Amino acid sequence: MVSMASSGTSQNILSARALGIVACQRCTKAAPLGTRTCDRCGHKLQSRDPMSLQRVWAYWFVGLLCYIPANVYPMLKTQTLFSTDESTIIGGAVELAHHGAFGIAAIILIASVVIPLAKFWAVAYLAVSVTQPTRVSNQRRQFIYEIVEYIGRWSMIDIFVVAILSALVQLKTLASINPGPASIFFALSVIFTMLSAQAFDSRMIWDVQTKRDSAT
Amino acid sequence: MTQELPEVSVSPTRKVFLSGASVVWIIPLLALVAALFVAWQSFNARGPLIVIEFENGSGIKASETELRYRDVTVGVVEKVGFSEGLERVTASVRLDKEVAPFVDAGAVFWVVEPEVTAQGITGLSTVLSGVYIEASWDDFPGPAANRFQGASEAPLIRPGQSGLEIAFRTAANGELTDNAPILFKGIEVGRVGRARIAPRGNFAIVEALIYDEHRHLINGSTRFWDTSGFSVNIGPAGAEIDFSSIATLVGGGITFDTFVSGGGVVQDGTVFDVFPDKESARNSLFNASAVDPLQISVIFDDNISGLAVGAPVELSGLKIGEVESISGLVNVDQFGDSRVRLNANLSIQPARLGLPGDVSAENALTFLESRVVAGLRARLASASLLTGGLKVELVMVEDAPTARLRDDGTNLPVMPTTKNETSDAAATVEGVFTRINNLPIEELLNSAITFLDSAEYLISNEDLLNTPADVRGLLGELQGLVSSTDVQNIPVSLNATLVRVETLVAQLEQERVAAKLSAALDGAASAAGAIETSVEGVPALIAQIEAVAAKAETLAVDELITELTALTQSVDRVVGTDDAVALPGSLKRALDEVNYTLQELREGGAIENVNQTLASARNAADSIAVSAQDLPQIVDRLTQLFAQASRTIQGYDKGDQLSRSVQDALRDIQKAADALGSLARTIERNPNSLLLGR
Repeated sequence: MVSMASSGTSQNILSARALGIVACQRCTKAAPLGTRTCDRCGHKLQSRDPMSLQRVWAYWFVGLLCYIPANVYPMLKTQTLFSTDESTIIGGAVELAHHGAFGIAAIILIASVVIPLAKFWAVAYLAVSVTQPTRVSNQRRQFIYEIVEYIGRWSMIDIFVVAILSALVQLKTLASINPGPASIFFALSVIFTMLSAQAFDSRMIWDVQTKRDSAT
Repeated sequence: MTQELPEVSVSPTRKVFLSGASVVWIIPLLALVAALFVAWQSFNARGPLIVIEFENGSGIKASETELRYRDVTVGVVEKVGFSEGLERVTASVRLDKEVAPFVDAGAVFWVVEPEVTAQGITGLSTVLSGVYIEASWDDFPGPAANRFQGASEAPLIRPGQSGLEIAFRTAANGELTDNAPILFKGIEVGRVGRARIAPRGNFAIVEALIYDEHRHLINGSTRFWDTSGFSVNIGPAGAEIDFSSIATLVGGGITFDTFVSGGGVVQDGTVFDVFPDKESARNSLFNASAVDPLQISVIFDDNISGLAVGAPVELSGLKIGEVESISGLVNVDQFGDSRVRLNANLSIQPARLGLPGDVSAENALTFLESRVVAGLRARLASASLLTGGLKVELVMVEDAPTARLRDDGTNLPVMPTTKNETSDAAATVEGVFTRINNLPIEELLNSAITFLDSAEYLISNEDLLNTPADVRGLLGELQGLVSSTDVQNIPVSLNATLVRVETLVAQLEQERVAAKLSAALDGAASAAGAIETSVEGVPALIAQIEAVAAKAETLAVDELITELTALTQSVDRVVGTDDAVALPGSLKRALDEVNYTLQELREGGAIENVNQTLASARNAADSIAVSAQDLPQIVDRLTQLFAQASRTIQGYDKGDQLSRSVQDALRDIQKAADALGSLARTIERNPNSLLLGR
């Protein structure tokens, strides 16, 4: 898929559908259009997934819904002997910046705010772009889609850090770090964004191209 | 296959909305429902917001400080701000919904902070966790209120806490300690709240709580007294320090006892007097009449010191009450000037007046009013010449200016006054003290010190110490004189001379010159007489020595020592003179000369020389005679002197006793000097002690 995207520079790409073929999405075996199941792996064959966009949007909304409490509620509960500190994602980054740790603040902001938001935007854009005419080339949109797919798993790095800290810093009353409610919502948000991106049937990108081409 | 294609592309768009929808939409719907439910629930569970006003913030933090009821968190401070005009600090507290109905107008809020008092340390947990707001309310829901005044400290009686609620009032001259425990046999059975001063300022009042399980200890005849501080009693049984516990020593406390039985049941709100000590508490029980005392005030124009709280108020010499409080008073409107006057509040016991009919404060007031019209006045009089204390006397004054017992209803009735009768005992006492102060104590002490110094110098004088040695030396010299070979040889020489004289006389007889010899012998006799007179001084000297010795024996020791010294010196001089030493030598030489002359006479036989020779012989013979006569005497005298000296030495041996006596005497003197010295130092440190006598 990746090699296909990077190598696809030609303006007129012939789709499998136009050739009357449907490819199995699990084992990539080609079959004539209309075949219900792949005779090699038994996977259901669909030339285009008509529910794809609905699933994309459904997951997208859940992801966005979860992203709100992820930012409102505290991510980390830091308990020391004298005080309990609860910091949200943005609050923590701002606090770090106040202490002069601009680098770490930037990493947190990028990993936890910019990238998730960019993902939301990218998925939404792709979902819209397959139904609306767009100026961006199919290759570029395919590239965006691949980035979103690729980056999705790394978004869990926040949760990973929180999990490690919570496991390590448990010194009874002296100091302890516990995950806040935001961590769950953040994880949910990431999961649903990934599901949303996966639900997107990237073949539709090329259908639009075809439409436009046929229109013009 | 290709024919089905249009069906596939068309049919989803034509279908009903729901049938084309993916099942996956259930997920966002569920999420939405869940979110809405959570939102609704949290909104629903949110209690009302109340505002509590405090004097200061004292560590209250937004979204951190908790509101607790019976130490359970029932709310959180959401916001800390100021009331209008920055007068007070407001804390907005979000209450839990379940307790909200109970938070009515009777709720009390206060901030719990760490506090260290004599009774202990409280609120220690807040050192780490920060302060919290403690609340207290009763068990019944009431109309909601949302604005409260925070108390500055925890209330004594919290709603729901049962116990006997009473109040304490200071008795005359008494004190109150607030927040003190009420102890009974060392057990805390109650607690005293924050004391306050009565509106008229004549006593302090405080509310107190006796815990429920101990309320049966209190009845109508229970008397309370203050156990704060300690008391020192010095009596025949020795000194006695009394305090009930360290806590009450520092922080004060109140204890009580029921001295007699039969007191009625005490209701909430009863006011008890707190007495200064157990004695007065006990006495009050037996002395107290059942009537409230009549309070009147007297304003004296002069500022007279010596009137103390508790001073007696007398009517015709009978004590009818006492001074309850004294204060200054400045009232330009009433007196026309701004001088400070002395305002004394008197507490008069109506029962002492012996009024007919109903014994009450009103009756007593009516009685006094009528007497004042007749001329009864108050005045200050000396209660004691020694202490200078004053008392208040109510006396009848003839032709007094008209006056009335003023009673305007709000203040105490005011008794008119007359001229004070105070003696100037204070002045006299002061004069005495001044005179004592002027005594030349310093000079006296200095003289004493100088005297003691001189005595010490005299006793340790070296001359005095050396006297016995001198006496011993004198005696040694005397012994040496007596035992000298010259003196011992005198009889031998005499013997020889007499032998020669004998032979000479025999020769003279032979030569028949007896007549001349007779004349020569006459001359010799007269010469001997002359010699006798010339040595008369020696017996006188010896007599003098004897007298001195006798006198020395009778003299006191110190005089004896001086006399001895003088005697020793004079004897020394006499013995040491060359003449005395040379005396035996001269005698010998004279005899030798006689001897030589006789030899010449015998050998030469020249008659003409005989006269001369005889003259010489006469002299020599006279001298010899005198010497021979006086020698036994001298020996006797010497013997006496020896005896005398021996006695003196014996007497001096007794000097051991003497010196012991002297040492004892010196030690006594030393002690006396030490005592004087310490007295001097004491006086130097604290001159007042001389005046005050301690």
